[in-house]
Parts: sequence; structure tokens; C-alpha cells
Amino acid sequence: MSEQLHFAEHTLQEVALGFMALVYCIRIYWFTRFTAGKERQPPTGPASTTPRKGILFSWGIIGMPWAMESSRKNMFMWLQFVLFHMGVVAAIGLSFIIPYLPEVLAIAGVIPTLQVLTGTACVIGVMRMIRRLGGKHMRAISTPDDVFSLLLLTVWFAFAFQAVPNSTANGEWQLMTYFWMTAFFLVYVPFSKISHYLYYPFTRYYLGKSMGRRGVFPFERGQPQAAPTGTPGAPALANVGAIQRVKA
Amino acid sequence: MERSYKAQKVIDRLGQKLNRQVVGSLVACVHCGNCTDSCHYVLANPDDPTYAPAWKGDRLRKIFKKHFDWTGRVVPWWVGAKSPETDADLEELKDIVFGKCTNCRRCTMNCPMGVDFATFNRLTRGLLVHVGIMPEGVAVVSKDQWELGNQMGVLKEDYIDTVEWMSDELVDEVGDDKAAIPIDKSDVEVMYTINPREAKYDPRTISDAAKIFWAAGESYTMPSEGWDMTNFGLFSGDDELGGTVSRRVYEKAQALRAKKVVISECGHGYRSTRCEGANWAQFDVDFVMESSVQTMLRYIKEGKIKVDKSLNISSYTYHDSCNFARSCGMTEEPRELLNLVVSDFREMYPNRAENYCCTGGGGAMSMTEYTPQRLKSARVKADQLKATGAKVVVTSCHNCVDGLTDLIKHYGLDMEVTQLVNLVANSLLVEKAAEVPEAEHAVSTTLAFAGRTILVVDDEADARRFIATVLEDNGATVLQAVDGDEALQMMRDKKPDLVTLDLSMPGKDGGRVFEEIRNDSELSGARVCIITGKPELRRLIYERPVREPEGYINKPIQEDVLVSNLRRILELTNKAA
Repeated sequence: MSEQLHFAEHTLQEVALGFMALVYCIRIYWFTRFTAGKERQPPTGPASTTPRKGILFSWGIIGMPWAMESSRKNMFMWLQFVLFHMGVVAAIGLSFIIPYLPEVLAIAGVIPTLQVLTGTACVIGVMRMIRRLGGKHMRAISTPDDVFSLLLLTVWFAFAFQAVPNSTANGEWQLMTYFWMTAFFLVYVPFSKISHYLYYPFTRYYLGKSMGRRGVFPFERGQPQAAPTGTPGAPALANVGAIQRVKA
Repeated sequence: MERSYKAQKVIDRLGQKLNRQVVGSLVACVHCGNCTDSCHYVLANPDDPTYAPAWKGDRLRKIFKKHFDWTGRVVPWWVGAKSPETDADLEELKDIVFGKCTNCRRCTMNCPMGVDFATFNRLTRGLLVHVGIMPEGVAVVSKDQWELGNQMGVLKEDYIDTVEWMSDELVDEVGDDKAAIPIDKSDVEVMYTINPREAKYDPRTISDAAKIFWAAGESYTMPSEGWDMTNFGLFSGDDELGGTVSRRVYEKAQALRAKKVVISECGHGYRSTRCEGANWAQFDVDFVMESSVQTMLRYIKEGKIKVDKSLNISSYTYHDSCNFARSCGMTEEPRELLNLVVSDFREMYPNRAENYCCTGGGGAMSMTEYTPQRLKSARVKADQLKATGAKVVVTSCHNCVDGLTDLIKHYGLDMEVTQLVNLVANSLLVEKAAEVPEAEHAVSTTLAFAGRTILVVDDEADARRFIATVLEDNGATVLQAVDGDEALQMMRDKKPDLVTLDLSMPGKDGGRVFEEIRNDSELSGARVCIITGKPELRRLIYERPVREPEGYINKPIQEDVLVSNLRRILELTNKAA
């Protein structure tokens, strides 16, 4: 291993991680300086719903595609979301495995698993880029940051895929590129939309708390019901299920 | 270019209104586009991306990014950050937040990140209202609610007269003096609050509710003030108005020492009074608040009233109000109640928190400039209604009643709209204290307009014939005019007791005729009831610098609504005289 690669795998990553952690701390401090609005009214809705249940449901809704119409009607999109984020976890994990736990890669099945995850995420990244640039609505809501962040991740997945075997047999450039991209990624994330995962727990917490207090969350159990078919001029309504509250 | 005064005020105000929930939503949106198909405006306008919830939400996000978020301050173009700079920018923003969204919150329910787009929209409306930029209808209604205490400009004496009139009718109907509607009675169990639309256009719902309270033996009262539980602050985004209106209701309930405030069927009224008002007003309520839907359901369950579902013989579906279902969790009680009072209930799909907006929410009915796009977006709802195969759509919201009525007419659906209170009252089994002899009863109802001369002005022969027949059946002498000039001439010649006036007529339209009547010293005292199939023309009347008409009825006309409203006009103006 060259000195440059060693630097990229260790010192560069540690500095980038430290920078990201510092910026995140500042960001969380900034965020918590905004006062949280309080609800003064007594709880409404069914007695079985509470703020606590609402919060848990709200956090977990992303894992319950049946519970939200936008996921239920677009299962393929939801699956893309799951695989894409599994790819993120795999690619981030790889940046720790290679420098600190390289022996893990010797375990049977680890390399193919990581390659399947990062490779699939890369393909999904390409699909999402086509969706973002090809659709009128998506183009209208996209900023340069949205496009760049997706491009960054997609290319990063491609290099992560190549870096998984941790081999320098064909030169170091794949590993070098992967680690430099990882460092850039760590530094860029707090300033980009990629930092959404930092806010996700807060946003869903507050929405869940409010909706739980008002008896809207949780939908106790999703039971899709078929919409009547044959409604002229209403393709958007076809296959739309309805949340049916099922009391235990 | 220097930023306009109003644009700067909007930015400053945003800084004051940001809280953690809003900021969380503003920074969390990843522009994934999952919300797009959840919006009825998008479904009806698939080629126009400016209806997408994320696009609309970005109007606020851009300002936030530019002034309150670091990336947007340093590299605004990278994250789409942008300031409003001119008053024209604010006017453009107004058309988006008031004209392209009803705050129905369906997109919020479908956002994987939990971004509350409806709150963005309301907040942006509030910023604009703060600098006086809003649709004219919003300004008029808000002014009425600030100054007169209710959003339809109903004067206190008119409200009291209407309640007393309904009270007299109810006592006559059930033959029991105890059925009289109490006003400002202290130490009661229930203070009943209503939507001013009930006092102005649909007083039957007041007497229906009173009949139910009487049958249940409830100790209740209607307040003389603080009776309007609706709250235009919810729609305009004006928290100060919201707090003031809510406080009026709360303080009146405390003054009367009522143990409970019952809120008549109104989606936004329930949400405003029950859920948001305490926050806006910073008021800790020490009494219970519930919807009349819950009250009626409890009465039946507790055996306080008895109902016979065979008395409601049509086929019914239920439309969930956005504010009930997506902001207050009220989805099961209306269905439970409906199933107790009708035999043929057909579910609508999607339903509950996934139901589509009636398209009249968020104050949309008062913003006539956006009516064409509202009705276009209503196609989604029209298809949904049609698919149920029901003849009657039931809803627990007055805005929904208006919105649904409008779209049913626009799309030519064979349906009617009603509310649960009407169905419960209709199915109520009561014992009359004193039976009115059939013959006497017949006389009293058929001669409602005996001795009265009523002029019916309408260019449509069918409408004229229908109104004339109903009025003649009720004892009136009916004159008919097909246009404005003929109407004015007949008024001078025949001096009718009342004029029903269509608005949309060829030649001199009803609005102009009305203004001429009011400005003519000989005719200005005439009692006028506007009857129109175009609610959006309402402003043509109410914006005129003359005294308002005595009544207003929407087409298609229901016979009982026509009779009761015209009787009310004649009786009230008699009292006034």
C-alpha cells in the first residue's frame, strides 16, 4: 500500500469524519435553538392513540409501505428506496472495514454481499437520475444540490463496488478514488440535502407527536381495500386502497 | 434593486414565526416527489408542475434558505434559495398559496420525511396577510370576523332573531314549550356553538340540533356572543385572528359556566376550536369540547334519543372532511352514527385520512377568483363520488357542503349533500306533547305565504315555474319577471312583499338590478332574496356599496329551504318593522 493510499484510508477519513461531526453538532445546536411549538389542547381522537404511539408509528412508517398511499401505490419506488439506502450503509461500512477490519472481507459471502448492495444502489442511482431529470414535476422541484448529491452518491457507489475486494492488483486508483470521494462526501453532506437523515428523526417525531395527540396516528393496522373499478376518467383512483382502522 | 417594504416585512415576519417543527420540515424535504400524486390539483392538472406540493412548499423554503439557512446564504443558487423582492413577487406568491392549495394536508400524510406542507402553506398565507396581501374574499371575511364576531357578517340581532324563530318553529312542531331554544342560560351542561352559515343560509340545522337536544333532555344553551365556532384564522394563516375568535368562544363558555362546548358539524370549526384555538389564544380551557357528531352518537348509545333508520330511505355515502380526518382523528364516529340512522351506507374510496378534499376547503369558497381552477381540480372528487353510486353524500363540514354542492352541480352528478344532524333529526322518534290536529297543521303549513305578493325574477322558465309553483302552493300571489327591467317596473307597479332575484340574467344582470333597487328611494326598502346557481357571483352582491340582501339561496333549490328562508325573511322583517 502506498503512503498516499494509507493517508486516504486513515488520516483523511478521520479528519473528514471529525469535520462532519463538528458541523453536525453546530447544526443540531442551531436547530434546537428554535423553540418547539406546544399543543395546549387535550388529546383528541380515539383513546387508543397517544403521542407516544404516534411518534413510534411516525418513525416506523417508512418501513410500512402499506401504511402510506404514496408507498403503497409505488411499491417499486419504495423498494428502490430500501435498496438505495442499504447501499449507503454498505458503502459507509466499507470505509471503516477496509482500514480497520480488513479481515471481515475474508469471511465468505461478505464481498459478494457488499458488491450486490453497492452495485444495486448504483443502478438505482442511475434510475433515479433519469427520473429526476426526465420527469417534468421532478425537474421543477430539483435544485443543483439535488442533482449533484444524487450524482455524487451514484458515482461513489460505483467506486465502492470496485473497492470492495480491497485489492491493489490492478493499481490503487479505485481504492484511492473511493476514499477521496468518501472524504469529500463526509465534508459535503452537512451542507447538502444528504443531511436529511439528521433531521428525519426530529421531523417525524414532531409530526408523530402531534398526529398521535390528535388521534390521526397510528393507523392501527393497514388493511387495503380495493377501490371500485371502472370509474371513468379516474385512473389515479384505481388501485387506491383505504386505511381501515381495525380495532384489536 | 431595493427590496420592497412589504417583501422585507414578510422576511422579518418569517423569522418571528419559525419554530422547530417548521424548521425541521423546511430542512428535511429531499424533493423525492412522493407527495406529487397525493394532491387533487396535480391529478387534475398533470402537465403543470406548479401544483406539486413540493414545488408549492419550496416557495417558502426558498425564502427560508436565503435568509435563515447557511448554504442558502452562501451559495443561494445551489439550493434554490431566493428572496421575494417586489410586491409583484408577493402577489405571485399569493396566487400560489391561496389559489393552488386548500391546505387539506393529504400531501403531508404521504411524505416519507414527515414534511408538513400544509403548515408551510398556512404559514405563507399568514406572512402575506400580515402585509395586507390576500384575496379580496379573505379580506372581507376576516374583517367580518374581526369586527362582527362571525365570518358571515351576521348581526347580533339577526342571529338572535333567527334562533328565536327556529325556537318558535320547533315548539310548534313538537308541541312542547320546553323545546324552546335557551339563549345565554347559565350553569348548563352544554353550550352549543354553530357556523354562521347556519344562521344565514341553513337555519334548519339549528332547529334540527335543538330538536335533538330537546329529545335528549339536555341542559343546554346557545350563547348570544361567541357563538361562531368557525375561524378564518385557520385559512388565512392569521394566528392573531385565530386566537381572538377562539378566545371569544372559550370566554363565553366560562362566563356561562358551561361544562361542555359542543361544536356543530364543521370540519375547520372543530379543528380551530377544539385543536388549534387553545394554542393560538394561549388559553388553557377548563371545560370539555366535542363535536356534535360525538354528542349525537352518545345520545343514541345512552338511549337518550331513539332513532329509526328506515326514515332515511335513500342511499348514502360519507365524505371525510380534511380537518376532521387528517387533523383531528375523527373518522369512526361519523360512520358509526351514520350506520345508526341510515340503512344503505356505501363507503367512499379512498376514505378517512386518505380521502380527497372536497375542494372547497382552506377558504377556497370565499376566493372567487380561483373558482375555475378549483372546479377543475374537483374532477377527482366528482369521480370519487360517482363511483359510490349513492344518491346522497353526507359530510360533517359546512365548507364541504358548499364545496360538494358546487362540484355536484358543475359535473352534473345526480346527488344531494346533507349533514348528519339532518339525518339524525329526520330519524328521531319523539312523542309530541300535544298533537296538532291534521287539518289545522295543514292549513298552517300550506298558507305560509297567505296574503303575500312575491315577485320571482329569473330568465330561466323552469326555475321561475318551480319557484312560483312552490310559493303559490304556500298561499302566495306570485308575479313573474324574466329580466331586470321588467322586474323593476313590476316592483314600482305592484309593490310586492318580497322579490326573489336571479343573478345571472341576459341584459341587466341581477347584481345591477339589485343595486338599482337599493339606490331607488321608492324601492330601496324592498325585501330581496338572491337565488343563484353561481355562488362565485355572491361577491357581485356583497361587494356593492349598498345594504345587503335579506336572504341568499343557492340553486338547485330545495323546496323546504326555499319556503323556510322566505318565511324567515318575511317574519324577521315584520318584527323589525
